[in-house]
Formats: sequence, C-alpha cells, structure tokens
Amino acid sequence: MYLAQLLLVGILSGAVLSLVGVGFTLVLGVGKIANFAHGALVGVGMYAGYSAAKYADINPYLLLIPAALVFAVVGWAVAEMFEWRGRKIGHIGELVVGLALLLLINGALEVVFGADARTYSSVDIGSVKAFGLIIPATQIIAASFTFVVAFVAYLFIQQTRWGRALRAVAENPNAAALHGIRVPIAQRVAVVASIVLAGLSGIIIAPFSVMTPDVGAGYLISAFAVVIVGGVGNTLGAVAAGLGIGVINSLAAGYLSSVWTTLTPLLLLLLFLLVRPVKVQA
Amino acid sequence: MTRRLGGLSNLSVVGLVVLLVAGWLIAGQLTAATATIVVSALYFAIPASSFNFLYGSLGIFSLMQPVFAAAGGYTTAYLFNAHHVSPWISLVIAPIVAAIIAVPVAFAAVRAGTGPVLTALVTLIISEAVPAILVGVKPLGGAVGLYVDVPPTPSFSDLQFVSPTTYVRIFLVLNVLVLAFLIWWRNSRYGLYVTAVKDSPDAAEAVGIPTARIRIVTIVISGMMASFGGVIYAQYNLLSTPDLFLGEAALFQVIVIALVAGVDRPWGTLVAAMLIVYISNKATDWADGRQGVGPLVFAAIFVLVALVMPRGITGTWAQIRANRSGRPSAGARREHTEEPLAMSSNLSGTGSSEA
Repeated sequence: MYLAQLLLVGILSGAVLSLVGVGFTLVLGVGKIANFAHGALVGVGMYAGYSAAKYADINPYLLLIPAALVFAVVGWAVAEMFEWRGRKIGHIGELVVGLALLLLINGALEVVFGADARTYSSVDIGSVKAFGLIIPATQIIAASFTFVVAFVAYLFIQQTRWGRALRAVAENPNAAALHGIRVPIAQRVAVVASIVLAGLSGIIIAPFSVMTPDVGAGYLISAFAVVIVGGVGNTLGAVAAGLGIGVINSLAAGYLSSVWTTLTPLLLLLLFLLVRPVKVQA
Repeated sequence: MTRRLGGLSNLSVVGLVVLLVAGWLIAGQLTAATATIVVSALYFAIPASSFNFLYGSLGIFSLMQPVFAAAGGYTTAYLFNAHHVSPWISLVIAPIVAAIIAVPVAFAAVRAGTGPVLTALVTLIISEAVPAILVGVKPLGGAVGLYVDVPPTPSFSDLQFVSPTTYVRIFLVLNVLVLAFLIWWRNSRYGLYVTAVKDSPDAAEAVGIPTARIRIVTIVISGMMASFGGVIYAQYNLLSTPDLFLGEAALFQVIVIALVAGVDRPWGTLVAAMLIVYISNKATDWADGRQGVGPLVFAAIFVLVALVMPRGITGTWAQIRANRSGRPSAGARREHTEEPLAMSSNLSGTGSSEA
C-alpha cells in the first residue's frame, strides 16, 4: 500500500517534470538552443494562473487559450533575440540571452509578487481517492495534459511534413537548407512551441504548486535532467524520463531521509552523464 | 616595455601598484556602509575573475566557480572551529581542497569534450547539487552552515577584524594578486599554449602541446583562484553557508559580473563588480528596500550590456582601442571563429558519433 502510494505520488510529480521537459527537449533538439529562461517562463505561467484566480476570479483553465497566444508572441520575440545574438556571438550569445531573461523574470516576479512563497487553492474541481490517497483533480488534469501534449508533439514530429522538416533541421541544418527547408523559420517554430508549452505548463501546474519568484532555476534543472535522460529532442523519452525521475524521487523520499529528495535526481543525472555521456559532435 | 618584472611589463606593475596604493588610501575614507558594499563587490570580483580566466582562455562556460569559493569558505570555517587552524593557513589549504574538487571535474570535462551549452548546464547542476549535498553533511553544519567561532579577543592570526575597512584592504590585495597573475599568465608560455589549444586544438596537439594537460591545469587553477575569495569572505561574514556562496543571488551575481566585464582585459571584473554591486545596492535604497528591486536592476544592467556590449566592458574597450589604432582586436576576430553548437540532434534516442 505504502509502495503504491509512493509510486502514485511519483508518477504525478514526474508528470510535471515531463511536462516542463517536453518543451525543453524541443528547443534543445530542434532549435539547438539551451534556453536558460525556460524554467522562468514556467514561473511566469504559474503566476499568471495565480493572478487570474486570485485577483480576477477567473478559472485559470480558461486562460489556457489566450495565454497560448500571448506566449506565442513572447516566444517569437525571444526567438528573434536568440537568433540575433546567436548569429553575432554564437551559442554563448544565446546562453547569455537566456540567462538575462531568467534573471529579469526572477527580478520582475519578485518586485510584483514579493519573495514569499505563494499557493492558491481556489481552483477546487474535486478529487479522486486512490490507494488511500486523495488526489486533487488538478493533478490528474496536469498528468493527462502532459501525456496528450507529448503524444501530439511526437506524432507531429514523426508523421507530418512539418515534423520531418524540423527533424531534418535538427539533424543537419545545412543539408536541410539545401533541400529548401527554411531553417530559421523551423528553428523559430521550435522556440515558440517550447515557450508556449512552458507558459501553459506553468498555468496547469500552478493550482497544486508552491510558487516563489526563483522557481525558474529549479525547473530549468529538472527540465535538463529530463532531456538528458530521455534523449535530446525525444518528446516521448522526456515523458518516460520525467516519470522515472518522479518515481525514484518519491521512493527516495519515502524510504530514505528527506535529504535525498533533492539530491537523488541530481546524483542520478550526474551518474547518467558519466555513464552515457550526451553524444556530441565536434 | 621590454624590461619585465617576472613576466609583467613595467606599465602593468605601475598600474597595479597605483591601484593598490590608491585603493588602500581610499579604503580608509569609506564609511562603514560603503565599505560593506565594497567588500562584497571585491569578493564577487574574485570568482568572477576565475570564471573569465577559464572562459577567456579555454572558452569553458563554467557556472560552478562559486562552488570553489564555497570550498574556501567551508575550509576555513571548519578548520578554525574544529582544529583552531588560523585562516591565514587556510588560505594555503583552501586551494588544495578546491583542486581536489576541480581535478575530477576537469577530467570529466576534458574526456567528454562537451560543447559550451552542455558544459554550462552541467556546471549549473553541480552548483545546485552542492547545497543539497551540504545539507546532508553534519560536520559542515548541514543546511544551517558553519558559524565561525569568535574568540574573546580576536588576534591577527584569527583573521577577524571589527572594521570592514580591513577586509576591503585584504580583498584589495587579493584582487591585485589575481590581476598580477592574470597579466603574467597571458604572456607566459602556458598562456600561449592555452590560446593555441583554444583556437586550434588539433594544430596544438600536432606541434606537441599536451592539450589535455593544459586544459586540466587551467580548470584546476581557476578553481583554486576562486577558493581564496571564499576564505576571506567567510571570515568577513563569520559564517559559511550554502546560501552565502551558492544561493541563487550569489551564484548569478558571479556570472553576471564576469559577463558584463568581458574577457578582453583582466581588470574588467573589478570594474564590473564595483559598478553592479554599487548600483543594485543604491537601487534597493531608493526603492526603500522593496524586495526584488536589487535583483531586477542587476538583471536590467545585464540585459543592457548583453544587448549593447555583447563582449562586455573590456570587449568594448578593446574594440575602441583597436579602432583607434586601425586594426581589428583579437576579440573581434574571435567572434567569427565561434565553434558550432556541439550537441547533436537526437530525435530517435541515439546520437551521432562522439567527438
């Protein structure tokens, strides 16, 4: 029973990691950009959902579609910045832009909302009882959203013409360009898609998460862990990796001391990097 | 500039002496409040210099330099409390501890041969993992950290002083030494090797430069450099905690100072540290201490510099100097030789061949 509970908690928390990781794997795999602000954009989504529920009394789920549009516009602007800096000073330039956005978002969130941790429980849409645990429906929605998004992204990348173009760009941008694929457009699409996903993830996970202005770095790390374990650019791999990390995390918390909760995924990740280094090309 | 003092040009020696003397005298005039700001700026300049040393010489974007500073802080706090070892002696032991941490990291980095993006992410993870590890290490105080014992009458050997001015001067000396080292390194045989390894590793290897060893030595030295700052900073704060060295603010402050400074001249970190720490402190004052104003202003400066002066203060300086003399600066040439992203696509879960 205890084990089943731990597994369930692990899967639910793992789904959140997967959701954040799916967007990151797209931007790293296809856009070839390590967007350091990815986690911070999740944070923006969280606070957007929070503000909607708290100050405007709007169900945050209603926010998803308008937010997707807003994040798409923001994403396009960010993609332009990456492109501009990247062209001028290479990938370090993109790192710097991401880092700058991360810090800017952290600072702005702290000025607006203060440094104190926030939660909100105004979104109560029932709960499910399983293995003696009460699971809020919000968590189940988040997990389902993760699976749907990852599966749709997988189908899109594997089955459609656009997806093939994205894969071609990821594999070899020069060859893709020679075949008439507009590489800059494809890369921007990947960046925009990942940022939209980041924002929506934030809204989806906000109802059951603790928010602080500096959540960005934490989510960046988990996103990276998911991508490394799941394979760069592999959305289904990201889901599997996220669930795996979530379950291991939960088991470590349940059977070992609480110190291990934060440490286990990091150690696993470093171990993973040593045993199976991410393949790189010169 | 033909005569050199241990590899330093006369001009550099004069500059460093002037900096030391002027700084020493100015330190005496500072109010306690300003001295506090200056101490923290001078501390951040040390790990930031070590970051730029590594980034400038090898192009390695390491976000774990504050870990080495923390190694210094914990070394002095632990040895002083547990064994009453003078912090001055810890200044010798701390770099050894930093080197012990740096060697495996250096080997891993050289062996994996990862690109800048991956290096940045992995070192960020190490920086985030260390506080989590420290929480579990009881002798180092766990999550609380170590508070340095204060003897009833602290003597000079305890490296504890009431006045922040003394710390300003100690940090000043440390910064001058770091600058002297960086200037010397540039012109030394090692420095030239490192440039060769960075610009063209294959050619360097072919002419017999031990590229792997050069890389490892450089990474280890950069770690040792950061650890000195940690020792003094822990003594100044009379504590060594995960948050002091590796909290989000401290971690990113180091990186931002380094990037705003740029790698073209060693003195950049000192200027950038003073500028950024001072302005974000003042901004917090203006906003009546409202939370987040400091970090926001600090981020805004960073964004501005990242957009307007992508090569930082010293890069822009080098550019201006080069334009005057009518030849392109080294940095301007470097811009175009940036290596492509060394990370393969991996949609199916299997990657292309390793470098």
